[in-house]
Amino acid sequence: MRRRDEVLVGILVTIALAIGIGGTLWLARRGFGSTYPLHARFAWGAGLKNGQSVLLAGLHVGTVSEIEFNQGGWLDVTMDIEEKRKIPEGTTATVTQLSLFGDKAIALTPTTPSTNMISPGDTVPAGKATPTLDDMMFRVDSLMRGVSDVTEKIEFEFVEGGGIADMRRTMASANRLVNQLSDVAAVQSRNLTLTMASVRRTLGSVDSTVVDSTLRNMRTTSENMTVLTGNLKGTMQRLDSVAAQLENGNGSAGKLLNDPALYDNARALLARMDSLMADLKRNPKKYINLKIF
Amino acid sequence: MRTIGVDSIPLAGLVAAFIGAVSAFQTRYQLLPGVPLSTVGWIVRQMIILELGPLLTALVLAGRVGARMTAEIGTMRVTEQIDALETLAFDPVAYLIVPRLLAALVMLPLLTILADAIGIASGLGISVFAAGVPMDEFTTGLRLTFIPFQVFYSLIKATLFGGAIALVCSYEGFITEAGAEGVGRSTARAVVISSVIILMLDALIALYLAPLLQ
Repeated sequence: MRRRDEVLVGILVTIALAIGIGGTLWLARRGFGSTYPLHARFAWGAGLKNGQSVLLAGLHVGTVSEIEFNQGGWLDVTMDIEEKRKIPEGTTATVTQLSLFGDKAIALTPTTPSTNMISPGDTVPAGKATPTLDDMMFRVDSLMRGVSDVTEKIEFEFVEGGGIADMRRTMASANRLVNQLSDVAAVQSRNLTLTMASVRRTLGSVDSTVVDSTLRNMRTTSENMTVLTGNLKGTMQRLDSVAAQLENGNGSAGKLLNDPALYDNARALLARMDSLMADLKRNPKKYINLKIF
Repeated sequence: MRTIGVDSIPLAGLVAAFIGAVSAFQTRYQLLPGVPLSTVGWIVRQMIILELGPLLTALVLAGRVGARMTAEIGTMRVTEQIDALETLAFDPVAYLIVPRLLAALVMLPLLTILADAIGIASGLGISVFAAGVPMDEFTTGLRLTFIPFQVFYSLIKATLFGGAIALVCSYEGFITEAGAEGVGRSTARAVVISSVIILMLDALIALYLAPLLQ
């Protein structure tokens, strides 16, 4: 080979090897940026593959780099996390579904704010697994079975058990009831209309001047009553004063009411008056000497 | 090596570029709604590295380089140059066939690496700039489930394809008869046979090695 050919072949070999090795490393290591490993453990059937994303609060921070099958019912998963992304302590790892077509990712979810970060090589505890498509399909399937059972029972009750005929009869009865209620409502409406017209006529016949005069009279009467009430108050006060004086024995009446001697004198006077009247009845001429001529 | 490797770069690169672009376009527009767009990168990588890169490079080289090999050796046969070598006690197989075989065994994998890279780069460019697939989505798919053995699988295929091209085409040239017409017939037959053998080898390799890709 000529020297130029040798150089060209050498260049081709160098470039091809560089691309092959560099490209393989780029794909296998998920880029040339530095990463640190974290581990997680999930139950069998998690649906993980190498290269799937690791998300921290929804942000891509790394990829699944290795999945080890554990006979104890677990998958030991190694994640390569970008060096610049730190995972706070208290974070949990769950396998989450990114689409309806089974595309999975590992979701790292910080449970509490923390300034302490998980060290490289540590294991992130597994969180509560999110329902998978199979779980949802199983639930939908059981739900559909339930709906199917209910549909069959409804069909039995409505078709074979005569439920639809009953409903038709009920609907017919309800229609009749509604018609009757409608008639009653129409009659009541007519009566109400007549009553309202009567009320309007009555209100229209009321003379407003008479009403005003009556109101003025009532106002005057009220004022008079106010004055009368004032007079009664004064009278009552005076009566109270008189009663107080009577109780205290002031004045002639008070002394009359409160002086026992005066009482005794009055009784003695009455006794003498009784004897005088008795003597007058017995001997009228002693006291009455009537001469006409 | 110059003829098989360096001179074949434009043709192999052109084929790989178009295959990568078409793969990306077809995948993007066949995706059902709801399928993540990263699937485009994943399918382009799998198609290019595992299948189309080595296979199409080998088929192209079978036409371009294999035909040339057959024609060269066949012409030497009909012009009795090979007989002259034998007369001079040279081993014609060692002198004519072994260098071509070694060149093909070395250059096919190297061309396949370039074709894989060009095909993926073409798919990425078409996906991002013409098919609306975000770069992050494409690269995420590109890395999804990747294991280095996929590249070795591609290189194993390319090496075997290279060996098949060199052996078949050299042999057909070596047994050429009946003058210039025989050379033409041998050349056509060499291209056809080597292409069929490449496809058969592809199927056999997939049968025996594909399970190792899981």
